[in-house]
Amino acid sequence: MPLLDLGAAIALGFRYFTIIYLTGLGGLFSERSGIVNIGLEGMMIVGTVMGAWGAFEFGPIPGLLIGLGAGMLFSLVHAVATVTFRVDHIVSGVVINLVAIGLARFLSQLFFDQATQSDPGVPDLATISIPLLSSLPLGLGQAFKGMSPVVPVAFLLTIPVLFVLNRTRFGLRLKSAGENPEAARSLGVRVAPLRYAGVAISGGLSGFAGAFLAIEINGLFREGQTQGLGFIALAALILGNWSPLRLMIGSLLFGIAQAIPLRLNDAPVISLLPEEFIRMIPYVVTIIAIAGFVGRVTPPAAAGRAYEGSTT
Amino acid sequence: MAARAEGAPAVKTRPPWVDLLAGQLLALAGAFAFAGAIGSIIIIAYGQDPLFIYSTVWAFGTSRPQDFALVLENATPLIFSGLAVAVAFKAGMFNIGVEGQYIVAMSAAAAAAVNLDSLPAIVLLPAVILAAVLAGMAWAAVPAVLKVKTGAHEVVTTIMMNGIAISFVAWLILNPLHSTGSQAADLRTDTFPKGALAPNLAQSLGLEDRIPDSVVHLTWLFPLSLIVCAGIWFLMFKTRLGYEVRALGSSSGSAEAGGISIGATQIKIFLISGALAGLVGLNHILGDTGYLGSNYEAGLGFAGIAVAFLGRNHPAGIPLAAILLGILLRGQDGLAIVTDLPTEILIILQGVLILSVVVAYELVNRALARRQQRAVGLIETPRKAEA
Repeated sequence: MPLLDLGAAIALGFRYFTIIYLTGLGGLFSERSGIVNIGLEGMMIVGTVMGAWGAFEFGPIPGLLIGLGAGMLFSLVHAVATVTFRVDHIVSGVVINLVAIGLARFLSQLFFDQATQSDPGVPDLATISIPLLSSLPLGLGQAFKGMSPVVPVAFLLTIPVLFVLNRTRFGLRLKSAGENPEAARSLGVRVAPLRYAGVAISGGLSGFAGAFLAIEINGLFREGQTQGLGFIALAALILGNWSPLRLMIGSLLFGIAQAIPLRLNDAPVISLLPEEFIRMIPYVVTIIAIAGFVGRVTPPAAAGRAYEGSTT
Repeated sequence: MAARAEGAPAVKTRPPWVDLLAGQLLALAGAFAFAGAIGSIIIIAYGQDPLFIYSTVWAFGTSRPQDFALVLENATPLIFSGLAVAVAFKAGMFNIGVEGQYIVAMSAAAAAAVNLDSLPAIVLLPAVILAAVLAGMAWAAVPAVLKVKTGAHEVVTTIMMNGIAISFVAWLILNPLHSTGSQAADLRTDTFPKGALAPNLAQSLGLEDRIPDSVVHLTWLFPLSLIVCAGIWFLMFKTRLGYEVRALGSSSGSAEAGGISIGATQIKIFLISGALAGLVGLNHILGDTGYLGSNYEAGLGFAGIAVAFLGRNHPAGIPLAAILLGILLRGQDGLAIVTDLPTEILIILQGVLILSVVVAYELVNRALARRQQRAVGLIETPRKAEA
């Protein structure tokens, strides 16, 4: 029954979508404010261990929020380094990823008495079924059954994000800090706090996504469980040309690409392609996009550039 | 990178290099003190004595010859990966792709070792090393060419190439390179022929009783890494390409005005970076395991970024930085034995140290630049320092 499998694959794809999209949105806020963030993976890792601990101690919702808070706190290292001390954004991002692995092991040892994983059985949220869609015929309804409530929340988050970025003073100023900080400053916008905010949002969303992975998908913290999803989020962000709607579409495609080898590897056409090659798809597509073979992607003009007046 | 003090007129009493050197040393000392203090806070919060912890780490890395040999073994791949990052950085480019380049290079070395086993050792080992170097270059060629031809930023493309490398090598180990012999149940290649292995250094020097080769896998790749450092120094400071690379790194506009072909230089240096990356994983497979398994040592490429920045992207600083990180790695074994402090504290400490070193140099460079400007009566803000 390939269609039933397809439904299950899409259901799993939705969960990966949630991780990629939330983390990518985080990256979007950071990069639109002018701070390149390749530390998304590390911020997500901190979210997994803190989220799993929080859920064990206080339940799933506090767990998710603790993941969010921890990611935000951890991302401040990146903000202090890049905004205040004008450290190269890539160097700081690499260090964030290095430290996150050590920090996660350290915390895991502290919380779970073992460095690389927690006990299984992290309490998770009650699942929901989307009315109407879950009764789609031919097994496709499977995709909308037993869904984590975080998944529709992630989809719906697009609306407030678009509103904030395009309709609020904060969002417009944030984008101006990432496009032309000197001009923004000359109009009285203070660049540094905006960039701090952009990085903090990226840490919060990545940490939340990490907690979601630990609590709602794997049911435990395990070292290496993020499997480069932070980099896939970065890929989706680039492919989405730093715009929320295109990021959502890219995340959905990449999320389903993640799920296919796990659910559909017996399906006719797909079984011809080894699982490992399916896993390469997001990276290959992103290289093609950034090289401009298909359309052109343009990062925020001032992303990666220190703003000299940022201490004032 | 050091803000060159040329152009400062003779208003000052001290020669500029004194300020520069003093500044660098001050920055380094300050960074170490800061990282040590942060580490102490965590250690005290854990109810342990920081001095005891630090002296344990030091003792485990230095007390016996075999301990220091282990440190040098740890340092060997880091020297190669640090150099790989540094040469690209000298040209103003970021090779985040060392990670993927060395993983692919290990699989190429494994393929050569397993398939060319009829060759005598004197040819086989160089062939294996050459295969690794070429694979590293090939993997680096993609982002280099795309950067020059299409303007695709190398940070993005190398990150993506890393993701591709991991899946590609996983597939290689599962399929064409998968062991057909007695290890067919494991996710690994066949065991390499003896002639493909890197000769053990202690054995060659007759020191096996003090540095047992069952514990320490320090090979001739370590002296090779130092020779490569010297070679890179020569390349950077004594050749035309090195001059072009440094010109490009300090100002691409003036380099172009000076008649340097930016694209060609970028491709050349990125290929050299990839070649160096190709050497990173060799000690692991040719000195230690003797095969390539799916649980190969990962993360050496990212660690190379840390080494490069700690070593100021200089061929003399990089071995020192690699040895320092080698001591921290070795120290983890020590901590695991004598305390119940999670050994990961040292990974955290390493990150804090790198960030503080980068910040400290930035602050010192800014202070020096300000002083220079005051000396010449400039008021405008300094050009952004590169590191």
